[in-house]
Amino acid sequence: MGNSIRKQVADLFQFALILCAAVVILVPIYWIASGAFKQQVDVFQLKLLFTPTLANFNEIFRSPYNLHEKLLNSTLVAGTTVIVAIPMATMAAYSFSRFRLRFERTMFLMILSTQFVPAVVIVLPYFLLFRDLGLLDTRLALVLVNLSLILPFAIWMIKGFIDGIPLDTEEAALVDGSSRLQVIWNIVLPMALPGILTAAIFCFILAWNEFLFAVIITNSKAVTMPVGLSLFHAEEGVLWHLISAAGILIMLPMFGLAMIIQKHFVQGMTLGAVR
Amino acid sequence: MASVTLKGITKRWNEFVAVRDLSLLIEDQEFLVLLGPSGCGKTTTMRMIAGLEEPTLGEVFIGDRKVNDDLPKDRDVAMVFQNYGLYPHLSVYENIRYPLKVRKVPKSLHSEKVRQAAEKVQLDHLLERKPRELSGGQRQRVALARAIVRTPTVFLMDEPLSNLDAKLRVTMRAELKHLQHELKITTVYVTHDQIEAMTLADRVAVMDHGIISQLGPPEEIYNDPANLFVAGFIGSPPMNLMKGKLHDNNFQHPNFSISINHEANLEEATLGIRPEDLILCAAQKGVLQGTVYAHELTGESTLTTINVGPDRLTIRGPKEFKINIDEAVGVQFEASKCFLFSNQTGERI
Repeated sequence: MGNSIRKQVADLFQFALILCAAVVILVPIYWIASGAFKQQVDVFQLKLLFTPTLANFNEIFRSPYNLHEKLLNSTLVAGTTVIVAIPMATMAAYSFSRFRLRFERTMFLMILSTQFVPAVVIVLPYFLLFRDLGLLDTRLALVLVNLSLILPFAIWMIKGFIDGIPLDTEEAALVDGSSRLQVIWNIVLPMALPGILTAAIFCFILAWNEFLFAVIITNSKAVTMPVGLSLFHAEEGVLWHLISAAGILIMLPMFGLAMIIQKHFVQGMTLGAVR
Repeated sequence: MASVTLKGITKRWNEFVAVRDLSLLIEDQEFLVLLGPSGCGKTTTMRMIAGLEEPTLGEVFIGDRKVNDDLPKDRDVAMVFQNYGLYPHLSVYENIRYPLKVRKVPKSLHSEKVRQAAEKVQLDHLLERKPRELSGGQRQRVALARAIVRTPTVFLMDEPLSNLDAKLRVTMRAELKHLQHELKITTVYVTHDQIEAMTLADRVAVMDHGIISQLGPPEEIYNDPANLFVAGFIGSPPMNLMKGKLHDNNFQHPNFSISINHEANLEEATLGIRPEDLILCAAQKGVLQGTVYAHELTGESTLTTINVGPDRLTIRGPKEFKINIDEAVGVQFEASKCFLFSNQTGERI
């Protein structure tokens, strides 16, 4: 009896903690979500019942905001970054995982060490570099910057998944008659696919949310969604209802991708070896 | 079908020598077992035949062809791995078909060949399953079917039964033996299990510290061990070994002496005798005396362990035999069944 009460108290405590965490995380999202559908006058009122409107979404796609252009830029920049980064990262990760290279540990550490440098330290050199190359305010510049930020992370993440593939499986394929490339294509890629997909989604999220470099090296043509939010800082004050609507548009793909990640992440963990 | 020849192969990783100047001729269609404890270099030797490791020194021949510089795929060998090495994302059918696919065997033949291989290992009803839906024994069969689907020149098997339970291991052992007899393919089999070695092999190469300690048919390895290592490794339970002196045709142990027809005089020698060559008797009638330490029934026989001075001897007896712990007993044996080894060199004398 005593044990059962103790268990109920423990369960209750656990539930209360989870509820607290959920509230902390979800309240800002709720605030943005409700703000997106409120009229400007209602934004600062905390009332739960209001007449929802889609006018905010209409307005952000019209001049002077033209958010669809920013949406296109964000999609192209994040998409291209992932399309270029993932094959490169996969090949590098495979090499780090399977081949004993000269200065391997140093090279891997150097790649990872780029992640330890605060972005704000390297933003100015990048600005000067792109100015000299004539790439300021271009999507190409953003893709290049994102690649430099994302590749180390992607290599590290994919390497972890490839490390988990048993060497026996690859060696069996080599003896069965495969070349190294066939082993990678036929065996390693399908087995690491959940991991590679997870890395791709993480990279897309990083590139999609990137703000600091985008705000410095773009000003009109290549402006992305996160930077686009600053447009709503107008003379009449901060237009929270429009920021909320744009915020929803930024978040929606992230929610979708997070759900896919969850599914593949579990798959990646459970696929593993057959022993 | 072909012979495999290793000429003075050495494998070294920095200071560590895994295989040392090893030479071996494996005859065409022979079933050769590389037997030894962990770290003796048996798997490394096999991996050098497969092309998964490069010898630091020496040459590997398959048939008349030197294959040192050939990739694994060009050596025409098939290998069964300890952990099976199955492709978890492919079905059993696709797993078995994989060697045919990558070796560009005409597609029209795939289905028939896969089914033939699967039938040989009784897997034909499981072709649509994924490896994770199979039991250990079934997975092992998939690995075997994948190896036999394309009649390779040489089979390499790296402890293929070690992950199976004891009962299944016995069944699979018989199936392997039958399969090799049927296919007549040169086979190199790595194991640390001496029963597997004794039952499967045409010849056994007992390995220790990167060299072959003894090479010969199983009965020769068992009945005529060349050195202390082989004597102590082969047999379950292994040979009883007792240290003493050899003087004037007499082996002198701290607790007994026995007349042995041997001319050598050695201050440090070891006498070896198999458990089944010892007979328990009344204490006063034995060549040596001891007290019972343990008595075990294994099913088909009993094993009695007795303390004799500093040594412990194991004696195999009939299954009906019973005795109490701490009872004083005598042991009889014939000098002709004994083996003598030099402690200094470890070799038979």
